[in-house]
Amino acid sequence: MGEPLKGTVTPLSSVFAPEEAQKASVRVQETISERRKQVDQLQAFLNDNNGLVNLVKKLPDQLHHDIMVPFGKAAFFPGRLIHTNEFLVLLGEGYYAERTSKQTIEILKRRGKDLESQIETLNAVIKDLKFEASFFDDTAIEAAEGIVEIREDYVDEAFNEDEPTKGEDDFARILSRIDELEKEELESEIAEEHEEEDKADLSHLISLTSLEPEGRSPEEQAKNEHLMSKISLQNHPQEDVPKPVKPKDLPARPVSKDLSSHVKVPTSSGSRLPPSLVEHNKLKERVSHTPVPKNEKVSTSASNSGNHSSRASVVAPVSKEVSDFDSSIGSDRSKAFTGSIVEHTHNIENNNQKGQMQAPASKPVSRFKMQRK
Amino acid sequence: MDRLREEKIQRFEEFVDRRLKPDLVRAIAERDKVFEQQKVFSDLRKNLENLEKNSVTSLRSMVNLGSEVYAQAEVDSVLTPKALHVCRPDTRHIFVDVGLGFHVELTWSEALSIIPAREEKLARQIEEYTRLIAQIKAQIKTVSQGIRELLQLPTE
Repeated sequence: MGEPLKGTVTPLSSVFAPEEAQKASVRVQETISERRKQVDQLQAFLNDNNGLVNLVKKLPDQLHHDIMVPFGKAAFFPGRLIHTNEFLVLLGEGYYAERTSKQTIEILKRRGKDLESQIETLNAVIKDLKFEASFFDDTAIEAAEGIVEIREDYVDEAFNEDEPTKGEDDFARILSRIDELEKEELESEIAEEHEEEDKADLSHLISLTSLEPEGRSPEEQAKNEHLMSKISLQNHPQEDVPKPVKPKDLPARPVSKDLSSHVKVPTSSGSRLPPSLVEHNKLKERVSHTPVPKNEKVSTSASNSGNHSSRASVVAPVSKEVSDFDSSIGSDRSKAFTGSIVEHTHNIENNNQKGQMQAPASKPVSRFKMQRK
Repeated sequence: MDRLREEKIQRFEEFVDRRLKPDLVRAIAERDKVFEQQKVFSDLRKNLENLEKNSVTSLRSMVNLGSEVYAQAEVDSVLTPKALHVCRPDTRHIFVDVGLGFHVELTWSEALSIIPAREEKLARQIEEYTRLIAQIKAQIKTVSQGIRELLQLPTE
């Protein structure tokens, strides 16, 4: 730190005026209550429908039912229900259908299903509106507090870039201190680990950690082949997220990052993955942390790199679970493998590519081949 | 001086818009409701008279079970002793709504004498509502006249 970083400081209140945010929140609340009323109405219809189904079911049990027959709106005649199995059902637009009890029940059940689906869509809409409202509320509160959004340009070497997210400076500072300490430890251990070159382990680890069995074999081969060539290529897509890169570890780091990306990409889970990965591969992994800018929502994943020197770029996520993760990882320091941690963009990537697990597996391969040529 | 007048004008206008006009709307709505009720009873009366004229003893109708599902119903005039179940088919007795959720069992002739009395009561209610509406309308007229006077004076 200490390098002059260019950046902009924008007070949140200029972007979202607090009063406007509150007004917007109020408007959304009104819409929410409207939708709720509609849902209640639909629910009432649904209840009526169910009651009618029961009635229609019971009527044919008797030949005649003694009832009070309405005569106009204000008078009744004592009378009987006859033809108890025949019902006239309104289909809409003045069209009626004469149906038996069973058929009428079916019609009513279909109507009930329709009502239920309407209720569900309305409930989904209400949920979305609630999120919107809570967002507006939070923004209003934060803008009122005078929280400032600071954006700075990404500088490659700087591992202590600070991008404090809204109101989490303290937490970020603590994390950065932890990262610095870990970095020192890592440096000392890297010297030790330089001897271990365990490519065989790599594939083994990959097989353990990869959650995509199908993509595994091509992955493994690809990894074994293109370990070194992946370096620069992988670096670029992840440039926007600051990574702690130490010059001496440069060759190794990207590899592990590649591996991590490889391992990461097919997996669908986001930040949840890293802890589980760590647990699976406790013996063989080690995640090294390097001080890193605290970006919001950076997911960490422990990937196995056969290369010792894997540097783990830990972009400390804001969430607490990562800090727990960090501590657990710290205990695994002495293990053979270091994990590399992949950034948030991966997360998005992963989530987007949930349906295309295969594609990531194949893409890097081709990209590397191209790179080679 | 002008500002004072403008303020007054504004206050009058607001008064008209916020109190008098909604009052008028509400009164009209209430009167319409009573109109409807009156219509219901007059229809009932006419039907009963028809039934009696044609000496109809049985009728069939469709009863709405809810959500526009209808079932056939029949009313047959049966000269059964009163010991039987109350709801035997019987066109001679009719149950008329007398308000507050009560229905009174009456014979046709009794019903035919009660219903006009009911109609008269409703007509009186309507008249009251009409008077109220007229009052509100008059108030609106006075206030707008006042506003007009205030507006005319400045131009003079």
